[in-house]
Amino acid sequence: MLTISNLHAAYGKVEVLHGISLEVPKGRVVTLIGSNGAGKTTTMRAISGMIKPKTGKVTLAGRDVTGLDSHRIARAGLAHSPEGRRVFSTMSVTDNLLLGAFPRFTRARPRGDISRDLERALELFPRLKERQHQLAGTLSGGEQQMLAMARAVMLNPEVILLDEPSMGLAPILVDEVFRIISRLKEQGVTMLLVEQFAAAALNVADYGYVLENGRISVHGPADSLKNDPAVKVAYLGGAQSH
Amino acid sequence: MNAKSFALYAAGIAALALFPMVIHNPYYIHLAETILIYAILLFGLDIVVGYTGQVSLGHAGLFGIGSYTTGVLVFKLGMPFLVALPASLAVTAAFGALLALPALRVTGPYLAMVTLAFGTIIQILINEMTFLTEGPLGIKIAKPSFFGHKLGEVAFFYVVGVIMVLSLAVVHRILKSHLGRAFQALRDSPIASDCMGVSVYRYKVYAFVISAALAGVAGSLYAYSEEYISPNTYNFELTILFLLAVIMGGRKTRSGALLGALIVVMLPSLLADISLFRQIATAAAVITVLTSAVLVAQKRRAMRAVAVPLAGTAGMALFSYQLENIVDWRLTIFGLMTLFVVYYLQDGVIGFLRGLVGRTGPRASTAVVAADESRAWAAPDSPIANGGHLLQARQVLMQFGGLKALNRVDLDVVKGSVHGLIGPNGSGKSTMMNVLTGIYRPTDGAVEFNGRVISGSTPSAIALGGVARTFQNVQLFGEMTATENVLVGLHHTFRSNVLDVMLHTPRYRREEREALERAAAILQFVGLASLANEEARNLPYGKQRLLEIGRALGLNPALLLLDEPAAGLTAPDIRELVAIIRKIRQHGITIILIEHHMDVVMSISDTVTVLDFGQKIAEGEPAFVQADSKVIEAYLGGSAAEPEAGASASATIMTRS
Repeated sequence: MLTISNLHAAYGKVEVLHGISLEVPKGRVVTLIGSNGAGKTTTMRAISGMIKPKTGKVTLAGRDVTGLDSHRIARAGLAHSPEGRRVFSTMSVTDNLLLGAFPRFTRARPRGDISRDLERALELFPRLKERQHQLAGTLSGGEQQMLAMARAVMLNPEVILLDEPSMGLAPILVDEVFRIISRLKEQGVTMLLVEQFAAAALNVADYGYVLENGRISVHGPADSLKNDPAVKVAYLGGAQSH
Repeated sequence: MNAKSFALYAAGIAALALFPMVIHNPYYIHLAETILIYAILLFGLDIVVGYTGQVSLGHAGLFGIGSYTTGVLVFKLGMPFLVALPASLAVTAAFGALLALPALRVTGPYLAMVTLAFGTIIQILINEMTFLTEGPLGIKIAKPSFFGHKLGEVAFFYVVGVIMVLSLAVVHRILKSHLGRAFQALRDSPIASDCMGVSVYRYKVYAFVISAALAGVAGSLYAYSEEYISPNTYNFELTILFLLAVIMGGRKTRSGALLGALIVVMLPSLLADISLFRQIATAAAVITVLTSAVLVAQKRRAMRAVAVPLAGTAGMALFSYQLENIVDWRLTIFGLMTLFVVYYLQDGVIGFLRGLVGRTGPRASTAVVAADESRAWAAPDSPIANGGHLLQARQVLMQFGGLKALNRVDLDVVKGSVHGLIGPNGSGKSTMMNVLTGIYRPTDGAVEFNGRVISGSTPSAIALGGVARTFQNVQLFGEMTATENVLVGLHHTFRSNVLDVMLHTPRYRREEREALERAAAILQFVGLASLANEEARNLPYGKQRLLEIGRALGLNPALLLLDEPAAGLTAPDIRELVAIIRKIRQHGITIILIEHHMDVVMSISDTVTVLDFGQKIAEGEPAFVQADSKVIEAYLGGSAAEPEAGASASATIMTRS
């Protein structure tokens, strides 16, 4: 569904990604793990067009979307739930969700039944249903994260990029976020997930890539990565270190 | 100053000195003089616009005040140059303080409107106060005289030249000092500036006053240079022209201000002469074609990115040969060029040139100082007597409308301890942080720090009293380097005033050197020594969090508040963070820690307080709190019982000392 080959990206003169290749098959959850500064968020931003890759190719549902503007990539079916949430804080929860479906209103994407999808999204996130008329800015951090995810779902996208969905959330909500990711997976949603909790990410994912200093160092099925001693030590906080 | 820039300065001064000897046409000398005068004003405008990030549409008004102060003093009282010039400086600086008042309350478009009104009012006042200013008739004054000898055009050019060079040196020194860092800091994050003890209020006023003083000097020189002043010179167009000059030349550079002055003074004249315009348009087209060719050949730009500028300049060159009469087209051409610069060269011409030669953005080459980690800490205070309360919050009530974000919360923080503060999102933890640091004034209740009530004090006063903090959503000074960020934290170590900075007195040099050494030591301590000269916004997220801690340490805090320092960090980074927090504590600094990573909180806290819906629901030793059923229900969740994917998440990250 989403294929990235030999992606190079830079901020100014500093190259951050030195040739990333990865693949997210339809209906699968793939996770990208790595330490801070390895380039996880940069990869996400390069895929969704928030920064322009220097070279390389991003293919979404068979279509080359490399270097397109973010809104065009979104129309092509890519929903990005960015790090730090970024909800439209002075708009209501419902309006946030409807904006997520904006390309469908303009028929840049197949329209489908938007009101039914809105119902479904609110069912998936019951806390949002209770607060659907509240301004997004008045939601707690956890609720804003749910809103960012629900908004991504409203695009009815081919792929969702989830960047650090559990960041800054209370433990009880971290659990809930992962439960929702599992639910979305059961519904057949294709996702690329970046997470600080690498172990939890590998539990929910089918396949994983380990990013080190802007390069993919290891990749494989999530189960085998979980048991890879090197990955354990470096990213899962395995007990063997020291 | 290195040899290269010294040579550059020397060449510039020599060119200035030789100019009237080579060019004898008084018209061109006058034009050059005007450029220098505008440059003085633009140095000042850049402080406000480029450094502190405020908008000012009032600078033509300030320029007018400078001119008219000199005009009135000379015309009515026959005062000499050496009185009129300083008087213009002082009067205009006072008006600058006045103009700063709205800037303390409003920003962005609102500030633009208020300053615009200021400029307009000044122009109207000059026009209407006929008894003082002679109104629309204007004032005629002669060039200054020294010892009965009236200065000629060339002599006055030298006077202006010397004052311009002096202004340049002074402005440069101010901006490279702790004052300049304070200006930039309040642009990038006012809230963090205040919490680093750099009062946003005070430094905004300083910036406007310094800026206005330069406008006053420029205005005074302008009055002498033109020998005639009238109100309609100081209109809205002039203000726009000044802003354009800063933007076109390139903000945050002195060369940009000079170039900007050159452009806005010369362009109208250049556009008056069609053959000259043709030559320039051709030259611009040739330069653009060559640069684009180089960029495309080196694969630094795609063909698509350079297509529009190429077509634009080529079109302009062709168009210039089609033109019969340029006068009708002057404004259109000027507008198009402006649009082009603003759209394609967002860092101005100077910024663009720097980008070409490989330097990205204006970057102070901070001196490399040997880092000695032990120097990261202030001179050891009296041995820390653990046990007493360093901070006590009494019945703190914080109400926003009908919402009680904090509902009568008590908090006692023991000296030398690590005090964890946890709770669900929206339970009031960050509100508590903001109350403790003075960002919010509690609706009721009081906060005592070190036996003194601090609730109600300003954030900068509380910070200077020894309370430092980091922010949940990182609040670094993005355009400044890691070193400069820490130096803002060390701002309080400077006793030097503006004069010390201007003259580089031994006191200032010693303080700057010591601060640089401290900054290097602190960066070493938080593990960022290798990234010292990297701009904060380019650092990876985890490093930004560490830099925030380093900056906070610069304050020599007795109490350090950490707001979710581990958010978004992966396991290895968290280990590093925990080690750093432990080391900070060993140096006797008391810590309040807000964090959602339970393993972090539970392993390093002595006491943990749990908030929910603005109320304290539990408090005690970590193990005790963790077993509390209310805490499990509201916050921890049934992690232990549920085999969900996320359930194991918070438990997987191991932390060690």
